[in-house]
Amino acid sequence: MGSSEIAVAVVRRWLALALEVITAHEEELGRLDAAAGDGDHGATMVRGLRAANAAVEKMSDGAGRLLIEAGAAFSDASGGASGALIGALLSSAGRVLDDGPFDTATATKALQAGLSMVMRLGKAQPGDKTLVDALKPFVDALAAQPADQPLLAAWRAALPAAQAGAAATREMVAKRGRSAKLGERSLGHADPGATSLVYLLQAMETALAEECG
Amino acid sequence: MTKLYNDPADFREELIEGFVAAYGRFVRRVPGASGVMALDAPRPGKVALVIGGGSGHYPAFCGYVGPGLAAAAVMGNVFAAPSAEQVYRVTKAVASDAGVLYCYGNYSGDVLNFDMAELRCQEEGIDVRTVRVTDDVASAPRGQEDERRGIAGDFFVFKIAGAAAARGDSLDEVERLARKANARTRSFGVAFGGCTLPGQSAPLFTVEPGRMELGLGVHGEPGVQSSHMRPAREIADLLLDALLADAPPDAGSTVAVLLNGLGATQYEEMFVLYKDVHRRLLAEGLSPYKPIVNEMVTSLDMAGCSLTLCWLDEELTPLLDAPCASAAYINC
Repeated sequence: MGSSEIAVAVVRRWLALALEVITAHEEELGRLDAAAGDGDHGATMVRGLRAANAAVEKMSDGAGRLLIEAGAAFSDASGGASGALIGALLSSAGRVLDDGPFDTATATKALQAGLSMVMRLGKAQPGDKTLVDALKPFVDALAAQPADQPLLAAWRAALPAAQAGAAATREMVAKRGRSAKLGERSLGHADPGATSLVYLLQAMETALAEECG
Repeated sequence: MTKLYNDPADFREELIEGFVAAYGRFVRRVPGASGVMALDAPRPGKVALVIGGGSGHYPAFCGYVGPGLAAAAVMGNVFAAPSAEQVYRVTKAVASDAGVLYCYGNYSGDVLNFDMAELRCQEEGIDVRTVRVTDDVASAPRGQEDERRGIAGDFFVFKIAGAAAARGDSLDEVERLARKANARTRSFGVAFGGCTLPGQSAPLFTVEPGRMELGLGVHGEPGVQSSHMRPAREIADLLLDALLADAPPDAGSTVAVLLNGLGATQYEEMFVLYKDVHRRLLAEGLSPYKPIVNEMVTSLDMAGCSLTLCWLDEELTPLLDAPCASAAYINC
């Protein structure tokens, strides 16, 4: 398999695994969301990922195009802020990935584009208790890996930064999103968006291990 | 407890189908989109008022579509903002040469998705403006009014904007009047029990017996303060204290009043509460104008209510009085 076929296989596998893992944690994500929000984060993510999987099922395009369409389908099916943001993350990353090489340097650039789009749209900064608190440390850690490091190894090395970032949201007070209206009440609970992002990144690790390990 | 559903995932779709089947005399389905539009939309030469938000708040939002009110409502899943794609499709279906006004409660998900749709419409040459409803005094302090969320005050802002649009006002003018109505509208609420999403077995939050939550949100977000349960007359004072302390700077003495039920509070209880609200308003030297005691913006089966005041003037009163017809509100 050439690089672009591997990329296509990884994206497809990742979408399927992401749906599996988020479905398995749907209740947990709902509970985290209910602490200071409306408790639908798990259901919203499942709905979005189902639509994303359905959208790419019959496509025969490259990995970038798949991500763009998966992002659009995710946003439309999920709605809400998280739907718009995660969809934009996928689509922005897909536009960079396009049909270029599938390596650590490209994946980093793709995720950097996704991160900056999420921050621009959501107007969230690190420390605001959003998915940015898991995504940004991950992207920074990925960027710090040697560019010639195989993607799977680089991804694995960067994952703990995302986990630490998500865990740290427990000590934060929400500043963006609906939970921000509750200020201190969000303290003590991890941000559901940051938590689900870690699951998505872990699903990608598995997909990479299966398809290029 | 939300009891009537089939697959919870289909809740929005099935409620839209049922709503259109029941109220086809006011609305039809927007083809290929999660929303409903007035039978006479698009209305040439008239600004299209597009409202919307998550489901779970009926009569907001689809109940306010019809002549003299909104041209269309975009309907998200329960408690989730509609996607930008759906907002865009609904806008395209009802946009006229006079432009479009988006009007919705100020929540980050709605802002994000409506803003993305607005941008896309602007790029296509459709003049779209936005007025976000920010009436809930509990959600941000004075001086940060723009940060507040929108609750039952939605109704007055939609009614006034819809009437201005129906009258044939320009987009600039409809936008100005909607903004003015919002700037003069304040709400504050109290919750006695949480709401349960379709398919879930437990409510989003619970209120301890003998206690109540002040400053509830319409999504069942916990309140900002908890208090012991009090007699209705004290709750009336509590609600009015919060609103009167926050009266807009140019407030006159005539106020439109809405005592809004959240879904599981009885009308007769609300009349008991309204008696004391009314008396206190008069004692404060205010004239309650055509008060409404009803469910206008709900939160599934949440127990509680909110009080909204809209300080009227000679410009807003005729718009509030203008005729309209929709599934949930008819004025003639």
